Formats: sequence, structure tokens, C-alpha cells
Amino acid sequence: MGSKRKMFIFGGIIGIIAAILMKLGNPGNMGMCIACFWRDIAGALGLHKAGVVQYIRPEIIGIIFGAFSISYLTGDFKVKGGSSPLIRFILGFFLMIGGLVFLGCPLRMILRLANGDLNALVGLMGYIAGIFIGVQFLKKGYSLGKNYDQPKIAGYLFPIFAVVLLIFLVVKPAFILFSTEGPGSMAAPVIISLLAGAIVGICLQRSRICTAGGFRDLILIRDTHFLWGILGIFIFTLIGNLVLNFEKFNFGFTGQPIAHNDFLFNFLGMTLVGLCSILLGGCPIRQTILASQGDTDAGITVIGLIVGAAFAHNFGLAASGNGVPTNGKIAVIIGIVFVLILASSIVLNNVKKVSKDSKGVSANV
Amino acid sequence: MENSCCVVTFEITQHSLIFEKKLRDNGFEVKLMPVPRELSSSCGIAAYINCDDKANILSLCEDENVIFEKFHEVNLNKSKSWFFKHLKK
Repeated sequence: MGSKRKMFIFGGIIGIIAAILMKLGNPGNMGMCIACFWRDIAGALGLHKAGVVQYIRPEIIGIIFGAFSISYLTGDFKVKGGSSPLIRFILGFFLMIGGLVFLGCPLRMILRLANGDLNALVGLMGYIAGIFIGVQFLKKGYSLGKNYDQPKIAGYLFPIFAVVLLIFLVVKPAFILFSTEGPGSMAAPVIISLLAGAIVGICLQRSRICTAGGFRDLILIRDTHFLWGILGIFIFTLIGNLVLNFEKFNFGFTGQPIAHNDFLFNFLGMTLVGLCSILLGGCPIRQTILASQGDTDAGITVIGLIVGAAFAHNFGLAASGNGVPTNGKIAVIIGIVFVLILASSIVLNNVKKVSKDSKGVSANV
Repeated sequence: MENSCCVVTFEITQHSLIFEKKLRDNGFEVKLMPVPRELSSSCGIAAYINCDDKANILSLCEDENVIFEKFHEVNLNKSKSWFFKHLKK
């Protein structure tokens, strides 16, 4: 089978699953959203108090189980880490701020677009702009440094975290918060969400689909391999929505579920997401997959995403259908400026450093 | 060349771009692509070169201080991946 066709099919499976999950009860255009789902989990764990977005999303648990299992079986599970973990945490943090101002990760941006939400087109332009800026840093020598072998147990911590989340989801202890209204209360049945997540996790691990990587390769080396996966997600979600969710299909800028039409901050929010994704070597979904296959740096990045989500709601940064709060606008601008300074200083540092060849190690970026 | 191909991997994206430029400037065949799935589960960038040029390229890299991570030689007949099928065209 042709490589691009294979990527398109992998993307297509993810797209169909997203449309089905929306049909079965997930929030509008949120069949699958990595940023929103980690945000919901942060809320369920009591890390923020936004009562409408608290739920332990089984899709995330399924994705981790799926990616962990398939990587373990195929030998891709390799426990590595130690490549600038604190910087990755900070980038994950700001990535989430940008995502929650736009209202979605790059995956939900594609899903929103596939259901007619044209605000996501503005977000896509911002995302590509962020990736373009990030690529300039890559060209100048940006790197977060080599990673190294870590104790085997370190690679199991992320899957163990998923097991703990599953226990919380099933047992529902009093200290775990579940929304009774709003997006957090809207969910597909747990078993179906878990299985759907596992299939998505396997598809993503095998295909290596990364929304940031697709556009990065197009800009940097004119290669469309990963882009076909993104196209598959878009086209199959569109078809799935037209068949399963036709009554919810809404072409335009207004009246979109869990979205706002502040053009500037849809653009800038996703610019921050694109920039952080390139500097991290992958978008939120890719980070979640890498963390599941033993990459402890990606694990730290996901913790950055979770903490970012908690701050976004505790500090009133996250947008809503009513628009972007002033605090959120300030945070995105601070985030872009801060990340640009961070990346510039890393490039300057790397230019000065004498590179030495070292076998058996590799960097994520 | 018909039965095998060589793939070069890098630790830093910039190194792949420098590698490509140096090789092109010196008249070698080179193409940047995503790292083949068989070699890595990462989604980084690798360079495909003609295996017949390997010795000359290694010498060039040493002379010009061009940094790379590793050379990989892959048998095309054994591989069924998208990457190597693409190269066969």
C-alpha cells in the first residue's frame, strides 16, 4: 500500500472515530481533543475549579493504553529522557494557554473545521504561522539537546498514571470532581470512549501522525507524508459529520459550539500552539503518544499541559463561547514573547557550543 | 544501489539541512525525508544518499566537519515500507 494512502487511512480512522464520539455524546466538535481532555482531567483532579469542565476522559486513558501496548509489542517502547525537561514543561504550559484561548488543540482545530467552523480556519492560519516561526529556529540550530537512557520504571510511570485515572473514573471517589453541567458533563459511554481511544492510540503510534510535523515537513523539506494523515482526519471527520451529525453541521463563524469569533486571538492563540509544538518536536497528541512509549521528556511536557490548563482556568485565562477574557489575551502575548526569547537564547547557546558526535543517543527535536 | 539504499539520521534538524547543502554543493545526490518507520518511531528528518557515494560522503563530512548521527544501510528487497517503495520509483 502506498505510504500516503496508508497515512490517509490512519488519519481517516481517527476522523471517523471523532465523528462517532460526537454522535454518542461528546461535546460539539470535541469528539477528540487532547488539550480539552487533559484540561477536563486537570479539573476532575481538582487542579482547577471550573465546574463545567471536570471529567476523567476515558479517551485519554485509551490512547495511553493503546500506544503503550503497541509500542511494547513492536519494540518501539524505549525509555529515554533528560533533554531539557524544565524547558519542555514551560513550553507545554504555554502551549496549553494558547490552546485554551483558541479553545482546542490542533486536532480539535481540524475537527472544528470539518464541521464548518470557519473560526478554525483562522486558527489554522495562526498555527501555520507559529510553525513557520518555529521552523526558522530549527534552521538556526535550535535543539533541546540529546536524550539518554533512563531507568525502565520511568517509562512505566505514564501508563501507571493512566491506570490510576481509570480507577478514579470507575470508583468515582469523593475527591474526584465530575461536571454535572456544561461540556464536562457531555460524554460518550465510558467503554466506547476507552476502546475508541485505544484504537486512536494505536493508529497514532504506528503512523506517527503529528499535526505540527506535517506542516513542518511541508515548510522545511517540501514533504507531504505526514500531511496526508491530517488530510485523512479532516476528510473522514467531514464525511462522518455529514452522515452522523448532519443536524449539528454549521458552516460559518457564528453559533459554533465551544468556540468564539475573536479573529485576532484565534490566530494568536494557535500561533503560540504552533510555535511551542515545533520547539517541543510535536503537538499535544504526539506528546501524549511519545509519553506512552517511554519518552519521559514528553511525559514532563504533558504535565506542563495539565498545569497550564489548571492555571488557565484558575487565573481566568481560558476563553469560552463568550470570547477571550483580557487576562487570556495578555497571557497569549506574554507567552509568544517569552517563548521567542527562550528559543532565541537556546539558538545563541547552541551556536556557541561545540557539537560533539555521540553515538546511541538522539534528541526529540 | 538497486538493492540497497543508505539513510543518514541526525540529532538536530539543522544538521540535516547543512548535510543536504554540503552534499549538493559537492555534486552528490541527496534527498531529505521523514525518518523511515523501520529505523525509528520518531518523526524527525533523515537524508537518503546513494550507497555508492558512502565513502566519499564520509570523507567530505570529516573534511568539512559536517555532523550526522548515523549511517544506515537498508536492503530494499527486504523492506516493504512506504519509504523504500518511494525510493524504488
